[in-house]
Amino acid sequence: MVLCIIAFAVFSVMSIFSAKYRPLAKEGFRCVFRSLTLKPCDTGLDERIKSEVVSKMLKYSPGAARSVNRHFVAISWFFVLLTLASFAYSAYGIYNFYYYGNCDGPTSTGACILNDITGDYGRFSEPTDLIPPTNLEGITEGNPNASIKIIEFGCFTCPYTKKAESTMEQLLAEYNDSIYYVFKPFPLPNHPHSYEAARAVLCANKQGKHWELQEEIFKQQDVCTADGSLAIKSLAETAGLNMTEFNHCYDNNETGAELATYIQQGKDAHIYATPTFFVNGKPVVGPKSLDEFKRIIEEEGG
Amino acid sequence: MKVQRNDFPVLEKNPSLVYLDSACTSLKPKAVIEAEMSYYTELGACAGRSSHRLGIKTNQKVEEAREKVAGFVGAKAEELVWTRNTTEGLNIIANSFDFSKRKKVVTSVMEHHSVLLPFMRLRDNGKITLEVVNCDESGTIGTNRWAEKIDRDTALVVTHSWNNTAGTGNDTRQLAKLAHDNGALICIDGAQGVPHRRTDFRRDSLDFLCFSGHKMLGPTGIGALVAKKEHLNKLDPLLTGGGTVKTVSLEKIEPVADQTRFEAGVQHYSGMIGFGAACDYLKKLGMENVEAHEKELAKALLEQLNAAGAIVYGPKTDNHEALYSFNFRNAKPHDVALMLDKQDMAVRSGFFCAQPALEALGAKDGAVRASGYIYNTVEDVKKFGDTLQKLKELYG
Repeated sequence: MVLCIIAFAVFSVMSIFSAKYRPLAKEGFRCVFRSLTLKPCDTGLDERIKSEVVSKMLKYSPGAARSVNRHFVAISWFFVLLTLASFAYSAYGIYNFYYYGNCDGPTSTGACILNDITGDYGRFSEPTDLIPPTNLEGITEGNPNASIKIIEFGCFTCPYTKKAESTMEQLLAEYNDSIYYVFKPFPLPNHPHSYEAARAVLCANKQGKHWELQEEIFKQQDVCTADGSLAIKSLAETAGLNMTEFNHCYDNNETGAELATYIQQGKDAHIYATPTFFVNGKPVVGPKSLDEFKRIIEEEGG
Repeated sequence: MKVQRNDFPVLEKNPSLVYLDSACTSLKPKAVIEAEMSYYTELGACAGRSSHRLGIKTNQKVEEAREKVAGFVGAKAEELVWTRNTTEGLNIIANSFDFSKRKKVVTSVMEHHSVLLPFMRLRDNGKITLEVVNCDESGTIGTNRWAEKIDRDTALVVTHSWNNTAGTGNDTRQLAKLAHDNGALICIDGAQGVPHRRTDFRRDSLDFLCFSGHKMLGPTGIGALVAKKEHLNKLDPLLTGGGTVKTVSLEKIEPVADQTRFEAGVQHYSGMIGFGAACDYLKKLGMENVEAHEKELAKALLEQLNAAGAIVYGPKTDNHEALYSFNFRNAKPHDVALMLDKQDMAVRSGFFCAQPALEALGAKDGAVRASGYIYNTVEDVKKFGDTLQKLKELYG
């Protein structure tokens, strides 16, 4: 019976993706249900799983197979508890992600699997992998001489970069003279039309109107990811850009080389998720709360 | 005896499979499959009803099959009733035998449920008294034990020729004599005997013999009840309907005179033709050769089981079918069967529809059963033995 609990959980998840696991999930459910109603489990699922495991082990190590066979119930309980702990931990992660934007909790600077990830995910996955950039070129705001320098790598079609946007605006409003903010576009390939959006914002920056366009893009992110250039041009018009200049810049890919520089800088910094911030070189991954940024700035003497 | 493994499509498609579950059902050779299929591809009509050429041809094939199957057990075609299986034959006997003069039925603890249940139901309904002969510690039932129970009150003795738990048999000729000496009749469950030993209905003076096609290379869903004509005439069919009557008015039914009055409705013609082909196959091999081959397999099986330290149930005689029930001390039968399956060994586990028999043999929680047939070889048994050695390590 014990094993059926795990089987039910695992096969239920697998059956979402493949119909062939559904009969096994049903068997697991029947076994768990019967056990809960104090009836003997009659599906034989646990016995089949046991024989599958033990017979495979028997080929390589009869001693280990014998031990597993003898203590199968105890081992099954261990895995049940492990499964329950895993579920509890996942639920805690989802709770954190919902409230703090990071599944590791409000004070964590680590990456969360639920955040958007770059193609480098897997190669780099920890804040300790990140290398702070020294170059301060990009879309800038604030006091260049300020002691606090915040560099952000973000993607305009990433929902988490969008989420961090308002935090940055509030931060700039509150610490305007005390911080220097540099935004480096880092379009992620898994977000449709992220390159086009980044090029467009750099074109808008030439007209000194990057805030206006990026605000429109973030507002209409769904439309932007669906319709690409068509939507971007329409949003540029809404943002009040000089469309002749914009179209010339955008259609001729005038900002492509600049964007490539930022992308390379992001890769050199081992960016694996957006948004990623460096506050005086200290990495912060994911859309953190305003309080969290304030705390970091205070620590940096801001 | 030489049987080609590739004569059996299941073995051909599963080269590493060792099939040791023939007591449950046997594998089917191509000849049987083709014969059964020929009904659908060449005939497809009703037998005994339609006068068109396909109907006539179907009837010919069915009656040829009846002759083959009846002849295989030393009976005449007119003594054979087609049934679905052994169970149906036994139920016909239990439910239409005349118990008005004598009510006592004698059977044994070693029987299959298909023997016990129909007569236990009659007992529970107060229609008969049931005497059950027990076996000794080794699982043997000697004729003397039968003699203690069979007397002048006995109407019917019902037992197996060979059983499906211990792989041993009754001396049916002696039992028939014992029954007849007391004025009783004898009904033999031949499900496990007919496929493995030469069975002679007439030589053994049997009154009723029931057996199934699927345990002797034939199709599932077809069996036979063989009965002496004088006894058959006294039985009432369980079912009636199309094909069982000569004339019908709303006031009166005139049934057909022959055994087809037991075969109501359109029958399993393809199965009958396939069953006939199975008898041809076994006849060609020679039942004496089948017996000799199985004795060799039985000897090898017992050696391997003993070498693996398994608990083997039932008598260990030289005259043994290639069938043994066994257990490992620290393992559930079902676990052992699953483990064997993982090593490409097909065996049965549980009570094999013979719970009282297994309990009498000492296997209170069931057992594992390995049962071989003509397509198994001594090499198969050795492979089985090698796997048992691994299980010995696992459960030892």
